[in-house]
Amino acid sequence: MAGRSVPYLLVVPVAAVIGAILGYPMYSLVRLSLQKYDLFALIAHHGTYVGLHNFGSVLHDSIFWHTLLRTVVFTAANVGLTMVLGTLIALLLVRISTWVRLLVTAGLVLVWAMPPVVAVQVWSWMTNSENGVLNYLLAQLHLGNFFQHDWYATPFWQLTMVTTLIVWEALPFVAITLYAALSQVPHELVEAAEIDGARSWRVFKDVTMPVITPVLLILTSLSILWDFGVFTQPFLLIGAGHIVPGNYLMGIYVYEKGYAETNFGLGAAISLLMLVIVAAMSVVYVRRMLRVGEVE
Amino acid sequence: MNRRLSRKVAWDALGLVVFAVMVFPVFWMVSTAFKNEDQINSFNPTWLPLHPTLAHFRTALHRQYFWTDIKNTLIVVLVTVGIAVVLAFLAALALAKYRFTGRNLFIVLMIGIQMLPPIGLIIPLYVLLGRYGEVNKLTGVILVYLTFALPFSVWTLRGFLIGIPKELEEAAMVDGSTRIGAFVRILLPLVAPGLVATSVFAYITAWNEYIFASIILHSNSKQTITLWLTNLLGGGRSIDWGVVMAASSLIAIPVVIFFLLVQRRIAFGLTAGAVKA
Amino acid sequence: MRYRVLAVVAAAVALSVVVATATASSKKATAHTLTVWLQVDAQNGWPDIVAATNSAFEKAHPGWNVDVQYQQWTTHLQKFDATIAGSDTPDVIEMGNTEMTKYMAAGAFTNLTSSQSQFANSKKWLSGMRAWGTYKGKLFGVPYYAGSRVITYRSDLFKKAGFKKPPKSLNQFQSELVKVGKMKKRVKGFSPLYVGGEDWYTALGFVFDYGGSIATFSHGKWHGTLDSKKSLAGLKRFKAFFKATQSKRTATLDASGLGAGNPFPYDVFKQGRTAANYGPAWYTCCTGKKYTKVTQQFVMPSHVKGKAIPGFLGGSDLAVPAQSSSKSQAIDWIADFTGTASEKALEQKGNIPNATNLLGNSVNERAASRSWFVPQATHWVDVENGNIIKTMLGQLLTGQLSVKQAARAASQNIAQTLNGP
Repeated sequence: MAGRSVPYLLVVPVAAVIGAILGYPMYSLVRLSLQKYDLFALIAHHGTYVGLHNFGSVLHDSIFWHTLLRTVVFTAANVGLTMVLGTLIALLLVRISTWVRLLVTAGLVLVWAMPPVVAVQVWSWMTNSENGVLNYLLAQLHLGNFFQHDWYATPFWQLTMVTTLIVWEALPFVAITLYAALSQVPHELVEAAEIDGARSWRVFKDVTMPVITPVLLILTSLSILWDFGVFTQPFLLIGAGHIVPGNYLMGIYVYEKGYAETNFGLGAAISLLMLVIVAAMSVVYVRRMLRVGEVE
Repeated sequence: MNRRLSRKVAWDALGLVVFAVMVFPVFWMVSTAFKNEDQINSFNPTWLPLHPTLAHFRTALHRQYFWTDIKNTLIVVLVTVGIAVVLAFLAALALAKYRFTGRNLFIVLMIGIQMLPPIGLIIPLYVLLGRYGEVNKLTGVILVYLTFALPFSVWTLRGFLIGIPKELEEAAMVDGSTRIGAFVRILLPLVAPGLVATSVFAYITAWNEYIFASIILHSNSKQTITLWLTNLLGGGRSIDWGVVMAASSLIAIPVVIFFLLVQRRIAFGLTAGAVKA
Repeated sequence: MRYRVLAVVAAAVALSVVVATATASSKKATAHTLTVWLQVDAQNGWPDIVAATNSAFEKAHPGWNVDVQYQQWTTHLQKFDATIAGSDTPDVIEMGNTEMTKYMAAGAFTNLTSSQSQFANSKKWLSGMRAWGTYKGKLFGVPYYAGSRVITYRSDLFKKAGFKKPPKSLNQFQSELVKVGKMKKRVKGFSPLYVGGEDWYTALGFVFDYGGSIATFSHGKWHGTLDSKKSLAGLKRFKAFFKATQSKRTATLDASGLGAGNPFPYDVFKQGRTAANYGPAWYTCCTGKKYTKVTQQFVMPSHVKGKAIPGFLGGSDLAVPAQSSSKSQAIDWIADFTGTASEKALEQKGNIPNATNLLGNSVNERAASRSWFVPQATHWVDVENGNIIKTMLGQLLTGQLSVKQAARAASQNIAQTLNGP
């Protein structure tokens, strides 16, 4: 056997599984996006070709643009908070005693292990307006009048609550990974810089940052990918009975148009647009992956 | 000296605050599970139930399909993890050690898959699985999870393999009586953290997934445990929070055990892969 | 070179995956299983009736077994759509009454008109329930059960305030509630009646009580009528009633339970923070041990003395998907499940049975004497999914828009949605 075929043979299983499972659905998604495909079509197993009409109607829908803008802001807020807080926790982990570190790590692991479906239940139970523990705690701490406070009164607050949930769930992954990266920063370098009288911010910028930048980049890119298309948390936490165009995120928009209104062609078109938008947003990530992907 | 000590104490205190905030929801879930009905509904929360009741746990454990669905979930998770790790390792080997045409295409494909909005794929995937006769079967769900777990796994493992010095590999080849033997003795320990990191990711993906499982698995006896839990919630009628919280706590146990087993390796594993990437 | 062995293994694995999927595709489910999709309500409320039907069916059809798969309201339509696309629908499906029209219009169900005689009491089905499953004169859905809306209240509090008999009119009810509220004003956040402001089933009861409606069909088009004079009178009355009987909580608007951090009305009841709820009759299930003895129900009165306020009649149908390959068996199963014995048992569990001759005299059944239903339009489901009416109620209760403005906006929105894209 020629050595040249070896890499292909190694890649074949992954490619085969992915191709077998995603190949047809991807083709079908593209075909659907060019068809009028409603409940009648679903039953007949046959849609009507309408060209780019679905894309046209999405792009002319002001709800789409509002949703896109909202989702971009939402993603930025979520990813920003996750990364900043995650980095801070990681930096803290370096500085604390071993027993506290073990405790915090164990706590992070516990959070990480909680399935989103469960987390949503716990969240809505804690933020319940009548006897949620959050209102009680805030009232006890005299932070204002939180008696029977409704945390979901406006779209802004609904999405804010979703953000707290998502950031809380995402922090362990980010903090633990970054902590591990930080532990690779040479100790001597940091100490030397500190003895030289360098401010901690400079030490962080010149010594620590270069080491953790690649990790940060990848974590940020992955977080963007995940948060932009998020569905389960907003859908369950805000609740189907409160999903209105004013609080749509892209994942929900696809669901409402494609599934709830059984307009599968339109849903497919929105899905493809999302794919394009996410791809555009992660060009940096992809380029980096290709560059470092080279074999030395 | 004193200043250094007090600073250390301050950091520790901050660490404890972070711990308290992060863990509070988990604590609240577990403590609610042990409370009686009055304590759960009360306006003045009971922080620690002094007379814990096990009634909610009993109800959850005896509810129909609990054990079946736990078993299903474990099968799905373990098979997904096992296959994902093996297949991803092979592909990662190709990416890390060989230069070949189509390599970049493969990488773009791996990244592109992570960008797909899963929601959009529900019906096409269902139709496909239907054609293979995989609807309402655990294998169908496993296949779907595999496709979502593989790209990340390939990527992480590749980082590890790149990190292994050529000399070591060659030494392994010369030294060992058989190639496979050498591989197992020398290379495997080096990539082990990567394998752990990968399996954690695959584990989480499979354990937490809800949407595809809910569409593909119809029979209550063939569902995963997250679906079992939502059935408990979606009854339309009263939600028994004590039972929900007890069930949620029970469901978290296997994941926590798995994590505690591999926890030390995860941190190392994830970064080694990422840094080298 | 170095990894050649592994490469060969990899290729072998890939091959076996392909072979496995290829062979798997040739298998098909066994022919003698009847697949039935029921909602979790049956699993939690009357599994015994389901079991009895199954064993009767299996006895009458040797070689057949019934696979009942319990579904949830939030996802069952999406799952059903997927099975339609994959040509493996269940043989029997339970549908919510407001979900029927869209699927009947699209041809998703088998026409059952000629099999009507097979269903016990079909001549005496309640006319409202028959209408849910009828489209253009053809029968597609067999009525399964219904539920009305009643007042669940604390008899001890009403008695203490001097009220021993159920109120005769809306005005009387409102003033009684206000009095109970005054009596309990020391309990912080106490609402004499706890009902969600965005609970459109409650609000639209007022609209229908004043002779209003949601939408009407004429000249080939749907017209939104929530801003008609009569509808507006109902909405205004609802707003006044709501303001008078609720605590001034900030969390006024929703009481749907799941999601969005609001408790179920009966959870508030359980906590001793309200004297009454308006909702399905089964609320008695969950008013807490402490209040079980003082939990009672009456029919909510209309603004016209002596009448009941029209309640939304919720309920379910059973249908046979058009793609089912075991239609006659499916019909037999439905006939068993909606037979006299089953329906009587359902009535015992607090539901409204499907036929007049089976009706009892429960509060639930009396409340059904006046009821309303949503417009039977293909796109009605989209109005519900879009939460259009809830949005309107939120706007008019918070004062964000006047009653008229909010109703007009909702009316236009409803007409647009019902007339389709």
